[in-house]
Amino acid sequence: MDSRVVNKGQLPELLDKLARDHTLIAPVREEENVTLFKKVSGASEVQLDYITSDVSPKGCIFPQTEKTISYTYTGDTLEMKEQDEPPKTVLFGVRPCDINSILALDPVFEGKFLDTYYLEKRKNTVIIGLSCSTILSTCFCTAFNSGPCDGKGADLMFTELGDKYYVEVNTEKGSSLVEAYSQYFSKGDTDKLAKAKEEQAKKLEGQFRRKVDLEGVKQVLDENFELPYWDKVFKKCLGCGICTYVCPTCHCFDIFDYVTGEFTGDRFRCWDSCMFPDFTLMAGGHNPRPSRKERVRNRFMHKLKYHLDRYNLDGCVGCGRCISKCPVNIDITQIIKDLKEVGQNA
Amino acid sequence: MMDVIQQLREQAKKLLEEKKVEMVIGFGEGTELARTTPVFITNPEEVSALTWGPLCANNLVKYLIDYQNLPGNVAVVVKGCDSRSVNRLLTDNQIDREKVVVLGVPCSGQLDWKIVAAAVDPAAKLKGFSDDGESFTVNTDAGDYKFDKKEAMLHKCLVCENPNPVVSDITVGKEQPVKNYEDRFAEVKALEQLGTEEKSVFWDKQFSRCLRCYACRNVCTVCTCRTCVFDQMQPMWVSKRNNLSENTAFHLIRAFHVAGRCVDCGECDRVCPVDIPLRKLNQKILKDLGDLFDAPTPGSEAGLASPLGEFATGDPEEFM
Repeated sequence: MDSRVVNKGQLPELLDKLARDHTLIAPVREEENVTLFKKVSGASEVQLDYITSDVSPKGCIFPQTEKTISYTYTGDTLEMKEQDEPPKTVLFGVRPCDINSILALDPVFEGKFLDTYYLEKRKNTVIIGLSCSTILSTCFCTAFNSGPCDGKGADLMFTELGDKYYVEVNTEKGSSLVEAYSQYFSKGDTDKLAKAKEEQAKKLEGQFRRKVDLEGVKQVLDENFELPYWDKVFKKCLGCGICTYVCPTCHCFDIFDYVTGEFTGDRFRCWDSCMFPDFTLMAGGHNPRPSRKERVRNRFMHKLKYHLDRYNLDGCVGCGRCISKCPVNIDITQIIKDLKEVGQNA
Repeated sequence: MMDVIQQLREQAKKLLEEKKVEMVIGFGEGTELARTTPVFITNPEEVSALTWGPLCANNLVKYLIDYQNLPGNVAVVVKGCDSRSVNRLLTDNQIDREKVVVLGVPCSGQLDWKIVAAAVDPAAKLKGFSDDGESFTVNTDAGDYKFDKKEAMLHKCLVCENPNPVVSDITVGKEQPVKNYEDRFAEVKALEQLGTEEKSVFWDKQFSRCLRCYACRNVCTVCTCRTCVFDQMQPMWVSKRNNLSENTAFHLIRAFHVAGRCVDCGECDRVCPVDIPLRKLNQKILKDLGDLFDAPTPGSEAGLASPLGEFATGDPEEFM
């Protein structure tokens, strides 16, 4: 693996150049306490010291709302206009948990049916990761074979070390970007920085408060679809969509047509949430998940079992957003702990 | 505050043992020191799960709607602000007064849990709270943390009208004085000063980041429709597309739908995952209702009708 060094003082200039030549998406401080990934026109808009964005950056590749086709019916022909090719994009400043989540999303959209809307954006996006420097009390990425400085899945991985960024070049895409902006990426003393990064990672890993042990949890769920435990958990759930919309791995969507004129219209796809009653509502009125109990169970089954069954990948990356955002303190790490106990007592 | 917890547990135990209620809805310890979580207790042996303190912001009255058809009675722990929701649900015929036991707890303010979480050692264990009037002290095994009320309380608590429950069957704890730290509508008045353009810029920025997770609706105690217009597919009043136009339509419809019924519990504001200051919308309407119709905060008195739901010949007709 190749590595480089970027001087901290030169990062703004690099970001300005990246924004000039690409669509640059980066963390932005939207309000005092809100950080979101947004398109930026230069380094001055980027919030480098953010910890976790309030909403995951998955929307850059899988937008909450996207027009997939526009149609016009002219009397005897139906004209359809597909999406334009997405712009060349650089997604900068992604934390390891969120990079890991994109790896969990890839096989969903690149399975038996190729989802071109996702895949085209994925292909045109260079992911620049940014190692964490602060561990929140809600963080638990280490439970999913990741860590605060893990660059797996990033094209380039930046780690802040003193007045420099140590940059790991992980892919072809990353390598071409380094070449195109070679004046910012020096060869420097990368061995020493690699060691410093390892030490920093170790130090940060010691700061995780949540020790999450997944051993045996999937087995409990494999063997028990019905568990009295769910009767307890769902009661406090308000049935809102916060957990699914801030989650970096949730990927359910709905497709519908929006008629704009007598013979014209657009087809959209929008994020959907399994927490909403109409998510599984069928024509005729039957709902296989009639109450919040089934819906809450489904969400955790998806995170801890179904995703593993389908793709052999964890459905959760330990970003902790659902924990800190849930208005009633439904906490996935508590649920993991409880399910383990259920398994041990069975 | 520890004796309030003890009394709450005793009262809950008694209610369950004497079969006066089937369930007690209260606050329990959360998964982090700075958080609490709603608990639903049906077994008198489990009342030790109940807790109380300045980290009990949730309005638990919302859950009464879930249990309105339970054959037995339900007891619910309420603060002053939450108690207005009880009155409001009674006026809306959503709950049966005979089937609800209100466990009222006078409240001297609720802390913003995020401020507490940021200050306290995450490994610390909670030992208790104390309140000296102007600040709360959170006692933990890793030391004491003092939080100035003005700095760390939820905004709604700085302008609290009802620290003591306005409806209560069993009151636990000492009566609390009304303390206003600032003009109740100061924030709304500041917004009113802006020009039309500036107001639009302000709200456009807020609404454009709405995720349409509907947490504000789902947490709201006056949102009781069986099928909400926002869930309706035909006709589709507001589409699932997330854009400024649809999001604005959602928020304005929501604000006007609860106008005259919103009890100003501030829950919509608290739960928003992207910090949209939703309470400002509701407060503007509350302020106008006060100015125009001399209407008190909905729910603050039993049987209070909605100012927009009744007609009086003396009503102003400025727009006619």
